Amino acid sequence: MSARRLIALILRTGRVAEPAPPAPEPLAAAAGLRGSVQVRHVDAGSCNGCEIEVAGAFGPVYDAERYGARLVASPRHADALLVTGVVTRNMAEPLRRTYEATPHPRLVLAVGDCARNCGMFAEGYGVVGPVSSVVDVDVEVAGCPPSPDAIVAGLRRLTGR
Amino acid sequence: MTGVEAGLLSQGLLALAASVAAVAAPARRRNVLAGAACTALAVAGALTGGAALAGRTGRIALEGVLPLGPLVLAPDRLGGFFMLLAGCVGAVVSVYAIGYVQGVSASRTAWCALAAFLLGMQLVPAAADVLALLSAWEVMALSSTVLVLTDHARRTEVRPAALWYAAMTHLSLVLLLAGTATLAAAARSTSFDAIAGAVRPGSVTGNVAFCLLALGGASKGGLFPLHVWLPRAHPQAPSHVSAAMSAAMVTMGVYVVLLTCLRLLPAGPTWWGVALVALGANSALYGILQAAVSSDLKRLLAHSTTENIGLAVLAAGVGILLRGHGAPGAGDVALTSCLLLLLSHAAFKTALFLAAGAVLHATGERDLDLLGGLAATMPWTATAFGVAAAGAAALPVTSGFVAEWVLLQALIHGAGPQDRLVAVVMPMAVGAVALTTGLTLLTCVKAFGTAFLGRPRSAGAAGAHECGWTMRLSVAASAAAVVLLGLVPGPLAASLAGAVGARGIRAVGLLGIDLPQVHALLDPLALGLAAAASTGAVALVSLVGSRRRRRERVALAWGCGGVRISPRMQYTATSYAEPLLRVFDDALRPERVVEITATGQGAVFVERVRFRQRLGDVVELAAYRPALAALDRLGALARRVQNGSVHRYLTFSFVALVVVLIAVTL
Repeated sequence: MSARRLIALILRTGRVAEPAPPAPEPLAAAAGLRGSVQVRHVDAGSCNGCEIEVAGAFGPVYDAERYGARLVASPRHADALLVTGVVTRNMAEPLRRTYEATPHPRLVLAVGDCARNCGMFAEGYGVVGPVSSVVDVDVEVAGCPPSPDAIVAGLRRLTGR
Repeated sequence: MTGVEAGLLSQGLLALAASVAAVAAPARRRNVLAGAACTALAVAGALTGGAALAGRTGRIALEGVLPLGPLVLAPDRLGGFFMLLAGCVGAVVSVYAIGYVQGVSASRTAWCALAAFLLGMQLVPAAADVLALLSAWEVMALSSTVLVLTDHARRTEVRPAALWYAAMTHLSLVLLLAGTATLAAAARSTSFDAIAGAVRPGSVTGNVAFCLLALGGASKGGLFPLHVWLPRAHPQAPSHVSAAMSAAMVTMGVYVVLLTCLRLLPAGPTWWGVALVALGANSALYGILQAAVSSDLKRLLAHSTTENIGLAVLAAGVGILLRGHGAPGAGDVALTSCLLLLLSHAAFKTALFLAAGAVLHATGERDLDLLGGLAATMPWTATAFGVAAAGAAALPVTSGFVAEWVLLQALIHGAGPQDRLVAVVMPMAVGAVALTTGLTLLTCVKAFGTAFLGRPRSAGAAGAHECGWTMRLSVAASAAAVVLLGLVPGPLAASLAGAVGARGIRAVGLLGIDLPQVHALLDPLALGLAAAASTGAVALVSLVGSRRRRRERVALAWGCGGVRISPRMQYTATSYAEPLLRVFDDALRPERVVEITATGQGAVFVERVRFRQRLGDVVELAAYRPALAALDRLGALARRVQNGSVHRYLTFSFVALVVVLIAVTL
C-alpha cells in the first residue's frame, strides 16, 4: 500500500476507539513502576477464549496501549505478567520460571475465571490449580471469557492511567 | 671475525651442544638441558639475523663438507630478516617444548631432530651459494620429517601424514635443485652473486628457473595447489613442531621466491608478478575457505597458514609487478608489507599453535565440536589465543592490522589507470584480500568462540587445567609480540624496507609508519592513546555510575520457560560454519548423509536422526588421487619384472653380462 493510500485510509476511517471510561483505582503495588507498563502474556493452559479477548483489548477499538500498557515478547523486558487459563501440570514450571525471569518490581494479572479459580476445569486430572497457587497474583479479572473492557480496566489498575 | 661470522659459527656449536645434551643427559634432566641449548641456538640465530638485517656482513666458507665445493654462508639483509624470524620463533618454541614434551616427544631423537631443524631453518637464509642453500634446505626437510613422525608408534594416522609431508617437501627440494642447477649451469658458478650478474631474467633460462624456484617455494610454503601436506602434517606433529613449521619453516618458501625475484634475477618480466599475484590470491582464498569450515583446531590453523603465506606471496607479486610498471614507490610498500605479513604471521601463528598444543595437552581433544568453556579453566591460554586470533583477523592494535593496512595502501595507491594490466590486477587483488580478511574474521571468531567460550562439550574439556609455566610464558610472549608489533611497528618496518631495497619508509611520531610514496601514515600508539583519552572520561563516568547503582542479581539464563543446560544446545564449529558451507557449496563439495530411522509405526514417528558430514579436499580428489593411482599402476607393472623369483634375477644378470661382453667385444 502506498503512503498516499494509507493516509487516505486513515483519514477515511477516522478514530474507532471507544471513549475512555473513568480510571479505576490504581493498585498500591504498582506505585514502583515508572512510565508505561510492559506486559508479557503467558498462556498457562487456557482454552484460547481469553486470548481472543486479550487480542481485542489491545486492538484499535479498546486500545489498551493508550493507557500505557504494552505487550512484549520476553519476561526479561516485562514489568507485569498477564496469565490466562488454569495452570496445567506442563505449564506450572515454565510459569514459575517466567515469573523468576521477570525483573523486580513484578506484578501478575490473572485474566479469566480459570486463572482465578480453575473455572469449569476445576479438579481436572491435568490441572495444578489457579494461578495464585503457583505465583502471587496482584490483580484478577473475572469472566469466562472476560470482556475486553474488563481486561483493559484490569490493566489500567497497573498503569494508573 | 665479524659479529655475524661469530654468530653463524656459534649456531653450529650450539646445535652440536644441543645434540650432545639430548643424547648424553639423563632422561630426568634431558628436557631442561636440551631445551636450554635449543633456546640458546635459536637466540643466537635471532641475534645473528638481527645484525645481518641491520646491515652487518660476514662470510664463512666451509671447505670440504661436500666434494663439489665450499658451502658459503653470508646472510644479506633479506636473509637476516628470515634468520631473525626463524630464531625468534625457535626460541619461543624451545622454551615451550621444555614443559610440553613428554614420552616419545621427549626422546633423544626428537630433541636432536629439533636442534637440527632449528639450525637448518636458520641457515637456509644465510646461504650465499646454491650448495649451502640446498644442504640447509635438506637438513630442514629431513629433521622436520623426523619430528612429524614422532608419535608414529601410538597413532596410525601419523605415518601417512609423514609420508605425504616427506613426498611434498622433497618435491620442493627437487624443484629447487632443478631451478638452481639451471641457473648455476648458465652462470658457470654456484655463487648467488655470480648468478645475479650472469643470467638475464627475461631469457628462457631465467623464465624456466623462475618457474622451478617459485613452484619449489610454493610447495614448501603450502600454496594452492601444493598445500595438501599442510592439513595432514600439522595436526599429527607435536604442537611445538607444528608451531615452528607453520610460523617459520613455510616462510622459507616465500624466502626462495623473494631470493629469486630480488637477488638472483632482479627486475624480471611482468608475467612473474602477475603469476605470483594469482598464486597468492588463489592460495589465500582457498586456504581461508577450508579453514572456515574445518572443525579440527590444528587443521584449521594449518589451512590458515596457506592463507597467510598466500597473502605474503600476493604482496610480493604486487611489489614486483609495480616496480616494473612505473610505480616503484607503491612496489616498495608492497614488498615491505610482504615481510610485515610474514612477521605478523609468525607471531600470531606461534601463539595459536602453542595455545592449541596447551588445549590438546589439557583436554586431549583437538575437535572444536568437543571443546568449549576453556576460558574459565585456562585463562592464560585463552587470553593468548584470543589476542593471537585478533591478530590473525587483522583487528586494530595487532600486527595483522598493520601488515594488511600497508598491503592495502600499496594496492589502492598502486592502481594507476594509465597502465591497463595494473588497472585490472590491482582491484582484483583488493577484492581477494578483502574477501580473505572477512572470512578470516569469521574463522577466528569460530575458533575462539567454540573452544574457549560457552560450556564444555565433552568430559575432556570439562576437566581442563592450565598448563605449566614454561608453556604459559612462551604462549604469552608470542601473544605480546602480536600486540607490540601492532602498537609500535615503525622502527621494524623501516629496517624491513631496507631489506627489500625500499627507500623512504621510516618511523614517525610515536613509532608509527610513514609511507611517503603513497602519502599514508599510521601511528597506532598515538591513535590508541587519543582513543583512550577521548573515551576515558565516558568510561570513568559510567564506571562511577554503575558503582552507585549496583543492582545485580544472578538468574538462570532465559530458556523460554524451559532450561538451557545441555551443552549440546550451543553453537558448534560445524553449525557456525554451515551457512558459509552452503554459500560455497560448489567449491567445497561437502558430503552429507542424513539417516532417519523410523520406529515402525509409520514414517512420521522417528526413532533417531543421524547426520554425518565429510569435507574432502577438492584438489586432492581431482588431481592427487588420480595421479597416485596412475603411479600405483606403474608400480604394479614394474612388479611383473621384479616378482621375487631368484631364477628370473639370475637370468637378468646373465643377460646383462652377455650384453656387456658383446658391447665390449664390438
